[in-house]
Amino acid sequence: MPGCLRRNVVVSFLFAPAVAGATGIAVQVQDATGKVLPDTVIYIEAEGGAASGKPGTALIEQKGLKFLPLVTVVQTGAMINFPNNDKVRHHIYSFSPAHKFDQKLYSGQAASPQVFDKAGTVVLGCNIHDKMIAYIKVVDTPYFAKTDGAGAVRIDLPAAGKYVVKAWHYNTVGGATPEQVLTVKTGELATAIFKLPMKPIVVGDPGT
Amino acid sequence: MKMDFRFRSLESRIVTLFLVLIVAVQLIGLLVIQRGIDNNARLAISAELNNGAKVFSRLLEQNAQSLRFGARLLARDTAFVAAIGNNDESDRATIESALENSGRRIKASLSMLINDERKITATTNPAQSAALEKMALSLLDAAEAADGAIGIAIVDHRPFQIVAMPVKAPITIGWIVMTFPIDRQLANDMREVSALHTTVLTRDQQGKWLQAGSTFVGPSAQAVVDQLQTLGPTKPALPFDMTVETAQYSARLLSIGEDNGQTASVLLARSIDEATAEYRRLERWLVGLTLAGIVASVLAIVFTAKRIAQPISALVTTAKRLEGGDYKTPIDSTREDEIGQLAHAFDAMREGISKREQEIRRLAYWDTLTNLPNRAQFVLLLNDALLEANRRGEAVFVLMMDLDRFKHVNDVMGHSFGDALLRQVAGRLQLLLANRRQSSAQVARLGGDEFAVLLPAANTDAAQAMAAEILLALETPLSLEDQMVDIGAGLGIAGYPDHADDGETLLSMAEVAMYTAKQRNDGAVIYDAAMDKGSAKSLSLLTELRNAVERNEFRLHVQPKISLESGKVVGMEALVRWVHPERGNVFPDEFIPFAEQTGFIRVLTRWVMERSAELCRELASKGHHLKVSVNLSTRDLLDQDLPAKFAELLAQHKLTPGSFCLEITESAIMDDPVRAQLTLERLSAMGLDLSIDDFGTGYSSLAYLKRLPVNELKIDKSFVLNMEKDEGDTKIVRSTIDLGHNMGLRVVAEGIESEAVWRLLAELGCDQGQGYFMSRPIPGDQMIAWLEKWQAPVMIAAPVETEETIDS
Repeated sequence: MPGCLRRNVVVSFLFAPAVAGATGIAVQVQDATGKVLPDTVIYIEAEGGAASGKPGTALIEQKGLKFLPLVTVVQTGAMINFPNNDKVRHHIYSFSPAHKFDQKLYSGQAASPQVFDKAGTVVLGCNIHDKMIAYIKVVDTPYFAKTDGAGAVRIDLPAAGKYVVKAWHYNTVGGATPEQVLTVKTGELATAIFKLPMKPIVVGDPGT
Repeated sequence: MKMDFRFRSLESRIVTLFLVLIVAVQLIGLLVIQRGIDNNARLAISAELNNGAKVFSRLLEQNAQSLRFGARLLARDTAFVAAIGNNDESDRATIESALENSGRRIKASLSMLINDERKITATTNPAQSAALEKMALSLLDAAEAADGAIGIAIVDHRPFQIVAMPVKAPITIGWIVMTFPIDRQLANDMREVSALHTTVLTRDQQGKWLQAGSTFVGPSAQAVVDQLQTLGPTKPALPFDMTVETAQYSARLLSIGEDNGQTASVLLARSIDEATAEYRRLERWLVGLTLAGIVASVLAIVFTAKRIAQPISALVTTAKRLEGGDYKTPIDSTREDEIGQLAHAFDAMREGISKREQEIRRLAYWDTLTNLPNRAQFVLLLNDALLEANRRGEAVFVLMMDLDRFKHVNDVMGHSFGDALLRQVAGRLQLLLANRRQSSAQVARLGGDEFAVLLPAANTDAAQAMAAEILLALETPLSLEDQMVDIGAGLGIAGYPDHADDGETLLSMAEVAMYTAKQRNDGAVIYDAAMDKGSAKSLSLLTELRNAVERNEFRLHVQPKISLESGKVVGMEALVRWVHPERGNVFPDEFIPFAEQTGFIRVLTRWVMERSAELCRELASKGHHLKVSVNLSTRDLLDQDLPAKFAELLAQHKLTPGSFCLEITESAIMDDPVRAQLTLERLSAMGLDLSIDDFGTGYSSLAYLKRLPVNELKIDKSFVLNMEKDEGDTKIVRSTIDLGHNMGLRVVAEGIESEAVWRLLAELGCDQGQGYFMSRPIPGDQMIAWLEKWQAPVMIAAPVETEETIDS
């Protein structure tokens, strides 16, 4: 979902004006066997100080009896819209503690946008269509992105310093979220490699 | 026909053979079919158990589906999911009630909820859920992966089906776990659909079996467990047999699950008796059919065997009857099979034997020439008559007769003439008996020219009267082939009980009497014991005569014949002497007549001729050419071969016929003048001298004398001995000499015992003489010596010596 990625990057750039020889972190994510993992959420928290930023909006559409995109990452307080582009109606819900909601049968743009103001993981489902699933990672930082198809991502940072880099994937064992502390120098690109323990892929898993 | 266990009879053999075959075939068939049925039943049971296993698996699967369905229904229930998702303590009661409600719907024994942290958060049976926790937790991953998982759990030795179903919202937020007991209910369901006895069992870690529900009730169920216990730890994979309270079952043990070292199994059992009930019925039918078949076959076999064997044994009886001599009963040969042919052949054989026996009997007991009974039958008749007579105290007489001169007739006229004569005689005898109307009298031909008549219930007078009649009947000459034949007979009579008690003796006595009659020329003679002594003596004499030849007991003696005129020895008469080892010298008078009677004389004559020829040869070699005179008997004259024999003898000894003179008595010629003349003419033609011996004593026929080729007359010594004193004898001698001379014959005188007689004879012109005066008969080997010293008295010319020379 290059579109989506681009959007996030754009958001990042809003708060980190680009300088020559951009300061940032490049992350490569693999599973235990060394296979690249796309759709992994990487988010960076500045050590010692909370970064501020304006939470944006996001869109998770329902099309072809699927949530698109499968994984969405937003900053705390962000609002997400759920346009239904299918001809059937959906009944989306979340029992996740980070944000519980229940949008009864609707179609088109009828669903009201939801504000995710608590960091955590929200799993979306559809009461009518058991197989529809979507993950929303709500983070307390403006520096975040999803790995691309090659399992790689680059996040620019506004300044040098020490940063905690975290990697989350919806299918890790026990929902593990490993983190690494990196010192980023100005104009330099720090790198991190994450190896995530993955649950075996189950046939028929709605996530795949 | 009796059954013989040693199989002697054909019938029992046939019956036994086929019986054994049929029973064997039937039994083998039965065994094969029975085995087939058994195998079939076993296969059927095995198949049933196999199907049962599938059915049970399906039953379990069905339960599992139901369980899975129930759990899934709950797990998909939005409200229920929401209740869990809310994760509110206040919702716990709601969740539990929902679990209970759903569980009851599908008859689950337990329902519980496990949260995403794998902790039991709600349950309808806390105690059971604790025991099931481990098993339940082990299913969760599989359940999540496959949207529900089914397992077997064992709690308190009771097996359960357990299902775990994830609750998704949409990621898994918990699991619903439900259990279902595998118990008697399931066993009953199984029994309903499959007719198999079903027992649910568990085995704990110690290997102890426990039943958790069975279609067997009470002790039977326990018996099943007990038997499984004895099988040991190894679980039989194949069906095995077991006994539950006397009933036989084929059983199969299915493992349905394992939980923590315990195993849950299901035992499916099929009653063998029930399964094979239909087959047993079939088998009973088969056995029945087999038995019926055997019985029917036995009846058929026995019937057939009897049909074959009974006619045979009937034929055996018939054959025995034939053996016993019964040829009259015909044999039933109406059957058209082989037996009938056999019977037919038997019947033909019976007739054949019967005819041949009649023929044999006829040949054995009848004389084929005259059709009179033969000797064998006569003896039988005689013996019968003797028995009868013995019983009644009557007398039986046997008359035996022998035709006179039959041999001559036979020899001269030929055998066919002789046979015709015998037939005529037989006819006359039969006619005679027929005319007398004495049916009991029997005539028989004993052989040759011998006939016999049996007179039962008669007396001596009757027998003699009968004999007279027979002789009278034979007096009439027989007319044969235009020739009249005179025939006479000698007849002997012997009677029971006067002379003997048994037939053979009577016959031999009659024979003796007959010979006596013939000797005496006396018609009919009744047996007398004195005759028998003679006959016995004669018999032994004949034997001794025969032996005498072999033992060389005969000696040749010669008596010189001297010319009365010159006193020279001109010849010699050969005589035979018998030196008996016990009796000493036997005089010719004692055995010559007997030898003539029996025919032995031929042997004797031949012997004398041989020896005479030898002596004659010997004397000739010494210069003494003497004519040897040999006496011929009647029998010799009748011997047609005599001239040939003589010729052979002369050739053998290189003698001229003139060396011999053959002396014949008048009676010998008169017996059969025709043949005698024939023989004599042939001998004379050969050049042999012939002499009439003992001339003047017989019934001389001068006519014959004229016709015979005779050279010499010998005056009988009875005339010569007394001629010195008796004027009459002298006249006879003189006349005889004249007669002889007149007929051109040489005249010889015998019995010269004195010189005076010699001189008298010489005066009368007698040519030659012999007698004691010159020499007694001396052994042949002494002849030469005698010749050497012989001196004729005439040559001495001395006065006549009147010395009587008598045998010393």
